[in-house]
Amino acid sequence: MKKTKIRTRNICFQYHKKQILKNISVEFPKGEISAIAGPSGSGKSSFLIVLNRLWEEIDGVNVTGKVEIELNGQMQDIYSGRIDIRQLRRKVSIVFQQPNPLPMSIFKNVAFPLNLAGLKDRERISREVESALKKVHLWDEVKDRLKEDGRLLSGGQQQRLCLARTLVMRPEVLLLDEPTASLDARTAEAIEQLLIQLKSRCTIVMVTHYQDQIQRIADSHFEVVNGNLINR
Amino acid sequence: MINKTLERSVIVLSWAAASILVMSVAILLGFLFAKGLGTLSLKLLFGSTPPLAAITLRQQVFDGLFPAVAGTFLLVICSTITAIPIGIAGGIFMAEYAGIRQKAFFSLLFDILAGIPSIIIGLAGLSLTIFLHRLFPGRLGPSLMISALSLALLVLPYLIRSTQNALESVDPLIRLTAPALGASRIQNVVKVLLPNSMADIIGGIILAVGRCAEDTAVIMLTGAVAVAGVPHDPLSQYEALPFYIYYISSQYGSPDELASGYGAAILLLALCTCLLIFAFVIQKRLVTLLLYR
Ligand SMILES: Nc1ncnc2c1ncn2[C@@H]1O[C@H](COP(=O)(O)OP(=O)(O)O)[C@@H](O)[C@H]1O
Ligand SMILES: [Mg+2]
Repeated sequence: MKKTKIRTRNICFQYHKKQILKNISVEFPKGEISAIAGPSGSGKSSFLIVLNRLWEEIDGVNVTGKVEIELNGQMQDIYSGRIDIRQLRRKVSIVFQQPNPLPMSIFKNVAFPLNLAGLKDRERISREVESALKKVHLWDEVKDRLKEDGRLLSGGQQQRLCLARTLVMRPEVLLLDEPTASLDARTAEAIEQLLIQLKSRCTIVMVTHYQDQIQRIADSHFEVVNGNLINR
Repeated sequence: MINKTLERSVIVLSWAAASILVMSVAILLGFLFAKGLGTLSLKLLFGSTPPLAAITLRQQVFDGLFPAVAGTFLLVICSTITAIPIGIAGGIFMAEYAGIRQKAFFSLLFDILAGIPSIIIGLAGLSLTIFLHRLFPGRLGPSLMISALSLALLVLPYLIRSTQNALESVDPLIRLTAPALGASRIQNVVKVLLPNSMADIIGGIILAVGRCAEDTAVIMLTGAVAVAGVPHDPLSQYEALPFYIYYISSQYGSPDELASGYGAAILLLALCTCLLIFAFVIQKRLVTLLLYR
């Protein structure tokens, strides 16, 4: 019997009273890659930000329903008052579809979550940054220019930078919004290999357009149809 | 066909508007320098006092503009230092923390404040002076401090608005970045939103500096006088360049005196320019410090 990592009950998502998602009740197994497909504008990205309450930072969004995620070894209702939202977003962290490096150096970008968490030990920060950049196969390209502005990187490099920035938090759940969309075939394959390696530590929910990618790496496959999430 | 003609006329009009603007500035500056350049000398600043002795405050200047330059400089510094923290905090509150109703209410309030003529702010400052004078007889009167506070009130709405607009116009994706990485609201404001809006906020500060430097109505009612020397403490009266320009041009006794008014105008312009450059340097430094350190 597979262990459930994420369970949603009757999730409804509205943008300015417009219903995007309705009554989504699904489960994602622990340590697997679940892929979500669907036409653009159907609400895939919206679904991801329900899982770490990020929608609460966006004006005009309203969400109802229940989400339970296994955190620190037990299922917890993430919308209950006991949840520390900063902690939640570090454990259940998202990489956006559009790369969003902050206007700061490459190094500071990757170190940013550690800085936010109050980590001061410079040596440890350097180690974590290096290991995260190596994981996403960006280290060799940027190791000599860590002080340069992160926004000067190419689109594919930026996307890997943002993935590294998320990995340095050691999330339990990784929400990926089209993670290989702006990568060339070889880097995309390297990232797919990374995701497969990450499965032992991380549960991955991934939005993707590519059927072949789903075939290659996804353990289960969902599709958004008319605001509902259907298991294929 | 019509589109082409339309486009061409828009281009011509834009050029015309831009050149009229540039020409007005050039004419204004040209006029000012033609009239006042001749008076620019150390004598205009320090009169018959040795400059070094005047700058080190060992000797008072009675026949030069040095006290007025010092007065305006101190006034601008005091009023902006008072207004900037309050203005930025107000802007942060408006953009990040105020609810919809609070926002509407305070917006109305700030718009009203922004629309109040400076002479009325001056009157308010004067009333405050009279009130304080009653409370502490003999000690408090019209002074640099009262003027600085009144000017701070005058520029506060600009600072709040520019900060608010700067914060609200940060790219939504950047706005969401830090929260997605586990930032609290205040961390997002301090580490991402403010540094990203620094250029626009400094723009508002520059406007405020200019406003404080040129205002005459407020300071005539609250502490600026014709002769006071360099102010030695916040509770003393002071001289100021715009006030000097105002009274010299309304009651000059000789063409030379009028010319010194133009000289004072050039000094005021130079002072503002220095302050602006200072603001730009600070902005660059701050952004580097906050983001690239
Ligand atoms: N900021 C927004 N304001 C209003 N509507 C939005 C906003 N962002 C997305 N939407 C709408 O929500 C729907 C779902 O968007 P999204 O979740 O991004 O879809 P997907 O990721 O599947 O392409 C779309 O129809 C889009 O028009
Ligand atoms: Mg999307």
